Amino acid sequence: MNPRFLKNTALCRPGEHRLSRRRMLGTVVAGAAGLSLSRLLEPAVAEELRQNDKQVILIWLDGGMSQLESWDPKPNTQFGGPFRAIPTSVPGIEVCELLKNTAKQMHHLAVLRSVCTQDNSHSAGVARINRGDPKDRGVVYPFLGSAVAKLLGPTSSGMPPYIWIKPYSGGFKASDAGFLGAKYGALALGDGKPPENLLLNASISVADNELRNELRARFNERYAVGRRKERTEANSYVYDLAQTLMRREELFDESTLSDRDRERYGTHELGRHLLLARKMAESGVRFVKVNSYHWDSHGDNFNACDSLIPQFDKPFAALIEDLAERGMMEKVLVIVMSEFGRTPKINSHVGRDHWPEAWSIAMGGAGIKKGIVSGKTNAEGTFVDGPEHDIGHLFHTWFKTLGVPPEQMEYDNQGQPLPVANETCGPIEELLA
Amino acid sequence: MDGAALLAQFEPKPTGIVVEHPRQLFQARISPCGKYLIASGYDAAVERWDITGDEIKPLNPLLGHHAWVQCLAFVPGTERIVTADSWGQLAVWPYIDEALAPIWKNDTAHDGWIRALAVSPDGKTIATGGNDLTVRLWSTDDGSLQKELPHPDKVFSLAFHPAGMSLASGDLKGIIRDWDIAAGTVKRELDARVLYQFDRIQECGGVRQLAFGAAGKQLVCAGQKTPGGGFSTGFPCALLYDWEAGQLLQEMQVGANDDGIAYDALIHPAGFVMATSCAFPGKGHVWFWKPGEEKPFYQSNAIPNGRSLSLHPDGRRLALLVSVSPNGNGRQLVDGVYQGGSSKIHILDYAPAEAARPASS
Repeated sequence: MNPRFLKNTALCRPGEHRLSRRRMLGTVVAGAAGLSLSRLLEPAVAEELRQNDKQVILIWLDGGMSQLESWDPKPNTQFGGPFRAIPTSVPGIEVCELLKNTAKQMHHLAVLRSVCTQDNSHSAGVARINRGDPKDRGVVYPFLGSAVAKLLGPTSSGMPPYIWIKPYSGGFKASDAGFLGAKYGALALGDGKPPENLLLNASISVADNELRNELRARFNERYAVGRRKERTEANSYVYDLAQTLMRREELFDESTLSDRDRERYGTHELGRHLLLARKMAESGVRFVKVNSYHWDSHGDNFNACDSLIPQFDKPFAALIEDLAERGMMEKVLVIVMSEFGRTPKINSHVGRDHWPEAWSIAMGGAGIKKGIVSGKTNAEGTFVDGPEHDIGHLFHTWFKTLGVPPEQMEYDNQGQPLPVANETCGPIEELLA
Repeated sequence: MDGAALLAQFEPKPTGIVVEHPRQLFQARISPCGKYLIASGYDAAVERWDITGDEIKPLNPLLGHHAWVQCLAFVPGTERIVTADSWGQLAVWPYIDEALAPIWKNDTAHDGWIRALAVSPDGKTIATGGNDLTVRLWSTDDGSLQKELPHPDKVFSLAFHPAGMSLASGDLKGIIRDWDIAAGTVKRELDARVLYQFDRIQECGGVRQLAFGAAGKQLVCAGQKTPGGGFSTGFPCALLYDWEAGQLLQEMQVGANDDGIAYDALIHPAGFVMATSCAFPGKGHVWFWKPGEEKPFYQSNAIPNGRSLSLHPDGRRLALLVSVSPNGNGRQLVDGVYQGGSSKIHILDYAPAEAARPASS
């Protein structure tokens, strides 16, 4: 698109964009070459699930947020750090003072303090946590967003089922889908910007565009003859997806943001992205993932947390408040997690290292019990005191609260039955309302 | 005296005296009387040792703080010490006897983390600052609040000018403010912004320490430059200023970009800068640098991970506090027990008895 056509719009300039429709299409077609022959769920059940209006916003704090400076403070202990624990809107529940805004929304949230996972490296932990720790069956499992996109499909809004709001570059991230195939990948909005050339070129009229699409559809039909359905479906799917987004360009129009929203969410990266996540959920996107990077505080952890956690706290509290005000907490599952927590021990660089042994994940909405803490760590926060919960338990919990029936907790991968979540785990009933 | 001559006179040598402490400490200071070593750290205790004899004897700690005690300072001309913690408590204690209760304390001196503390040269006034964007002046005698000085950013360091009329405050953003104490106004600002970094999405660095030379002609501040590698670790750096002119005289940067933050710096009576830094295990230097020279005349990481330097009033010894806390991901148990970090305080002999005393800076 010629940049001059964007001059008078509040939308982003082409140079800010990371993804074009053509590039997005190209990525998906390439990904479709590896598309599996996985079958859809039984048609009747699949349709029922699509009627389900549950949605998900996953906030991924990449690198690992310290549980001790957030959800599970251990004030005045050897490893407790400098910060105070503060009361929340739920009597008896305290969080770190760096979550001062979130503390006021605690009555909407649940915190699981007994998370004990296995990987203490980023490379293994990111994949394993995002995939829910399935047993190794020789296939690449989907990330949670792709799994939900597959199991629940798009909502009736017609919006893409899986949007990923992230810093840096965007694109269609087929790799999240694993064996499910490219169609279930994430449409990543790099820096929260829409795909490049989202707007219709001003030299093309709406009527011409319709004719153009009609022609494309005919070409697609011819192209599909004799070709694998999965490949041609993915091709058409991404065109449809782009068309949908073109009709919703106002979602990216920052000029429509209220001063109140700007103030409450902030103008920093994570604030802008969480506000966009709210708008995406309001528009009907089934699964929205928001990534924030650089939480790996091996050095100077406490000044890092003093700088980083407020960047999360303020917009996250605003997001929960807004979802609750709009009545959306009844259907939107919000999850905050990382690949692991951080060591109780403070290293010589006043940092905390990787700690999968005892950390916390926060969540709320869509049938998660409100205003509770489940599980606990010992007095110094070093290990879980009581039953430990791995990410497999959480995937079961989330699928259950999203309404995936137990009998449908299985993918069919070209005849190979594959559990949707680790079959040695089950849901954490204490978290479910 | 050039660097080579200074090295011949002041090269530090181990005395073999090392105080080992099972917890991590922020700073260890020798009392003005030279008889006590006082240290504070991550566990709310203020530790004490009697260092008068050949053997260093531990004394009962001062207990009553709630969280990290990052700051302590002696009250000149008295046997009192001021301490402050990260939950906002400020306290004055007698440090020589077994009366372990504070003379006074204020649980809400600040809203949260007190990061900086200084006592005026006449001992009458305490200055504190921290995360609540305020510098407060207190009466040392009774803890009454004397003045509040709104500060535009988090206060990381404070130092009274030896003449007692000015207070320097250093903040996260690398600004050093020169306060007129009587008027409660900022007279000028010194630029130390090189010590502040916005790295990726994180604010890093800051003016971690401020210290005047004995004559008040020069001011040194400490921190880091140019973090890289994703762990907010940079080059240790001290900045030396001509206080009267408000001019930066010299950047004193040492080591590599993983040698971390210079947590402590001071100006020796002989006019050279002493500093130490700490980062990952085995990293961080002690260095002595004569102003005007291109490099330090002494630099070593033989005892790495330095957190503080304190001179004995005899002019011969110093206490170097180092952190002993290896980093490592995941479960690392020793005999089934999860280990925290610890500290060592090395007593170093850094000047022969016959050393002449140069003029103060």
